[in-house]
Amino acid sequence: MEDTRSQTPVLTAHEAGLVGCTSCGKVHPGGTARCVRCGAALEAPDGKSLQKVWAWLIAGLVVYVPANVYPMLRTTTLGQTTDNTIVGGALDLARHGDYGVAFVVFFASIVIPIGKFAAIAYLALAVSRRVRMGPHARHITFVIVEFIGRWSMIDVFVVAILSSLITLDFAATIRPGIAAISFALSVAFTMISALSFDPRLIWDTKYR
Amino acid sequence: MSDRGPSDLEIETRTRSAWRNLSWVWLVPLAALAVTLGVAWKTWAERGREVEIVFKNASGVIADETTVRYRDVVIGSVADVGFVADLSSIVVTVRIDRAIADSLPEDAQFWVVRPEVSTQGVTGLTTVLSGVYIETAFEPSPGAQANRFEGLQQAPLVAPGTQGTTITLRTDDAAQLTAGAPIFHKGIEVGRIEEPELLFTRDGVVFDAFIEEPYDELLNSATRFWLTSGFSLSLGTGGLDLSVGSLANLVRGGMSFDTVFSGGAPVSEGQVFELYESEDAARSSAFSDPFENAVELVVEFKDSVSGLSAGSPVNLRGVRIGSVGAINAIVREGENGREVRLRATLSIDPSRLGLGDDNVDEDTVVDFLSEAVREGLRARLGFQSLFSQALVVELVRVPEAEPAALVLLPDTPPLLPSVDSELPNLGATAEGLLARIDNLPVEEVLDQAIATMAAIETFAADEGLRDAPDALVSLLDDARGLVGSEDIQSLPAEINAAVSDLRSVIATMEQAGAVEQILSAFNSVDSAANSVTDFAGDISGAAAEVEELIRRLQALTDKANELELNEFVNSARQLVESADRLIDSDDTRALPASLSAALDEARLALEELREGGAVENLNSTLASADDAAQAIEDAAGLLPDIANRIDILVNETRSVIASYGTTSTFNRETLNSLREIQNAAESLSKLARALERNPNSILFGR
Repeated sequence: MEDTRSQTPVLTAHEAGLVGCTSCGKVHPGGTARCVRCGAALEAPDGKSLQKVWAWLIAGLVVYVPANVYPMLRTTTLGQTTDNTIVGGALDLARHGDYGVAFVVFFASIVIPIGKFAAIAYLALAVSRRVRMGPHARHITFVIVEFIGRWSMIDVFVVAILSSLITLDFAATIRPGIAAISFALSVAFTMISALSFDPRLIWDTKYR
Repeated sequence: MSDRGPSDLEIETRTRSAWRNLSWVWLVPLAALAVTLGVAWKTWAERGREVEIVFKNASGVIADETTVRYRDVVIGSVADVGFVADLSSIVVTVRIDRAIADSLPEDAQFWVVRPEVSTQGVTGLTTVLSGVYIETAFEPSPGAQANRFEGLQQAPLVAPGTQGTTITLRTDDAAQLTAGAPIFHKGIEVGRIEEPELLFTRDGVVFDAFIEEPYDELLNSATRFWLTSGFSLSLGTGGLDLSVGSLANLVRGGMSFDTVFSGGAPVSEGQVFELYESEDAARSSAFSDPFENAVELVVEFKDSVSGLSAGSPVNLRGVRIGSVGAINAIVREGENGREVRLRATLSIDPSRLGLGDDNVDEDTVVDFLSEAVREGLRARLGFQSLFSQALVVELVRVPEAEPAALVLLPDTPPLLPSVDSELPNLGATAEGLLARIDNLPVEEVLDQAIATMAAIETFAADEGLRDAPDALVSLLDDARGLVGSEDIQSLPAEINAAVSDLRSVIATMEQAGAVEQILSAFNSVDSAANSVTDFAGDISGAAAEVEELIRRLQALTDKANELELNEFVNSARQLVESADRLIDSDDTRALPASLSAALDEARLALEELREGGAVENLNSTLASADDAAQAIEDAAGLLPDIANRIDILVNETRSVIASYGTTSTFNRETLNSLREIQNAAESLSKLARALERNPNSILFGR
C-alpha cells in the first residue's frame, strides 16, 4: 500500500480553512453552516464521526455474537427439528462434501463480517493515529469495505427466501432463528459504521 | 489578521471533556448489548433444569433431538444420554422447562414412547417418523424439584392423576389376560388391568386393576369379578348357552364385575378381589366369603366330616344361608367315656334367614334359632351334589328328632344340635362289600366243592352202588320168581288138596312138628336179618335207614313167608321208597357194598326159604286158613292203587334219576331197574285184574 503518493504531503480542505459538503462535494469557506447548493449541514471532519464508527462497530460486534451462537436455521423435517448455527451449518455442508457451498457460506458469513470489523476498526485506529497506515492504503481499504458490505447480507437473504419458500408444515419447515436477526443487525450495524466513517479523515493530517 | 491567530481559540473551544464529547450514537451498541444479553438470559432461562432419568432401555433416545412431552406438549429435550457407573442402566439427562421441572414430584413417571402394535391398537404412530420421545406423567406438586427419576419400561396403563380406584385382583391362571385388558360393567369399559404378576408366596397371579371415576363407586365388598374373555359355552338345565364377547375381548381378554348381593362395604384402595372363571362361579361365590355381620354357630358331628371344608355352604332347605368357618376336633365327655367330636363353626347370614337386611341383633338370631331348634331344626351333613363327595351342612327340620335346644355356651358360639346324616356312605359301603367278598372262604368252598364232586364221582362210580340196582333187580326177580313159581301157581291146587286134607295136614303138622320147622325157618330169617342189622349198625350215618331197610326187608320176608301179597307189595313199595330215600341221602356213599351184602343175605334167605320147602309147607299151612281167600281178595282190591303208586313213584324216581344226568351208567341201570319195577308193578296189576275178574281163581286155579 505504501506507494509514492502516500509519501506526498497533501493539503486538505480542512488545512486550507475550507469545508466540503459531504453530499454534493461543494467546497465552502470554513464556518459555513449549510451547503449553499444542496442544503446539507456542513461539518468539519473531526473525532466525533469516529465515535459513531466505533459505536456502530461495537453494536455490530455485540449482535454478531448471538448471530453465531444461536441457530440461524431451524429446520423441521418430518417432525425432527434441527437447529443450525452458521458455523455448524458450514461444517455440516463440508461434512456432506459440499465444500464449495460450505466455503461460500463460511466466507460470506464468517470471513467477510470479521474482515469488515477488522477493516473498519483498523481504519478508525489508523485515522486516530493509533496505527500507522498510509492515506492511500486507508482509502483502498475503505473502498473495499464499502463494496463488500452490501454482499454481507447474503446469509440473511438466503434465510429469508428459504423461510418463505419452504413452509410445508409437517414435511419440512425452515424457520429463521435468532441468529438470522442478529446477523442482519450485525451487517446493518457494520454498514452504518462504515457509512459513518468520514472518508475525509483518511486524508486529514490534523491528527497525524 | 494572520498574527492574531483566532483559529487557536476555536480549537480550544473544541476540546471539551470526554463525556461532553460523547455522541448519542453510543446508545446503539449499548442497546445492542442489552438486547443480546436479554436474549442470552432468556435462552438460559428457557434452557430448563436438568434432571436425570434412569432407563433400562433407551432405544431411539438421541441427545438434543428427543423431546420430553407432558400431555403431548414439549416441555424439554434430552441433553445427554449416558450410563450409570456400572453400565447397567442408561441415564438420560433431560432439560425440562423450569416452571414444570420445579413441580416434578419424586414419583413422576417417564417412559419412552415408541410405535407399538398391540391388541389394544396401534400407539405411538407419529414416532415412526419423528422418532421416539419421552412422555411424562405426574401430579404437579409445586416446589418438589425432584432431580432423579426411574424411567418406566412402558407406558403406565393409568396415568397419574387419573381419578379412580386401584384394586388388586387374584386369580389362579392368567393365561387369558394381558396387561391393559379392559374391565367392563354391564358392557361399558370402566377400567383396565395392569401386567399380571406371579405370586411366589401364594399360588396364583395377582394384578392391579384400575377403575376410573365415577365407576369406582360401583365397587364394594360384594363386588365379584369374572372373566368374560372370548366366548363361553355352557350346557345346563336351561339349555345350551353360547355367549360371544366382542372380538377385542377374544383377543385381549377382559373381565366384568357386578355387585352380586346387597350390603357390601365400601372398598379401600388396593383391596384384593378374587377373579372368577365365569359369571356363574362369581355369583355363586357370593357366600364363600365371611359375611358382614354373620352370626356364628357351632355344630358337633359324630360322622366323618371328610368332604367338609372351610367355605363349604350351609344350606337351609337348599338355599345357601352361610358357610362353614373352621372345623376342628374336640374331646368331650360323652356317654361312653371320652369321645372325639368334630366341631364345625358356621357363619350364618341373618339376612338370608329373612331376619331383615342389616344390623340384626345377634340375640334376635339366637332367639329365632332357639325357637327353630325347639321345633326340630337340626344340622346334618349332606352331599353337595350327586356326583360330588363334597359335603354341605344342611339345616333341616326333623320333627321326630330327640328334643334338644340351642346350647348357649359361655365362650363359644351357640351349639346347634345335629342329627346323624343320612349319607349313604358310598365309600364305606363299597369297602365293606369288598371286605366281605374278600372274607368269603372262596378257596375252602372251592376245595369243598371239588371234594364233593370227587366224592359224588366216586360214589357214582362205586361198584357197590352200581351193583345195588342189580341186587335190587335180582331181589325183585326172586320175588317175581317166587310169585310166578310153580309152587305158587300150583298153590290153588295145593290149597284145594290142602283144604281137602285139612284135617290130615293138621294132623301131619302136629305129628311132623311142622310148626317147629317153620319156626326154625323164621329163626334163620331172623338171624339173617339180625346179621344184616348188625352189619348195618357198623355203617355210620346210614345205619338208621339201612336198619329201616333191613327191617322192611325183614317184614317183606315175613310177608313173603306168609304170602300176603298186599303186604308184600306194600313192603316192596316202601322198600323202593326207602331205597329211593337212601339213594337221595348223603350217607349212601358207603352203602352199596353193605346193601349188596344185605341183599345177598336177603336173597340167600329167600333161597333158603325156597329150598327149605317152607313155601310148600307154608302153602299147605295157609291153605288151611279159612279166611286166606278173603284176605287175598281184599288185598287184590288194593293192588291197582299200589300199581299206580308204584307208577308215580317210578316216574318220580325217574325224574330224580334224570337229574343225576342222562348218560351215567348208574342212571341207565337205575332206569333199567325202575323199568323192571314197573314191569313188576304191571304184572302185579295184571294179577290184580285177574283176581278181580275171577277172585276165586286164586283159590281154584285158572
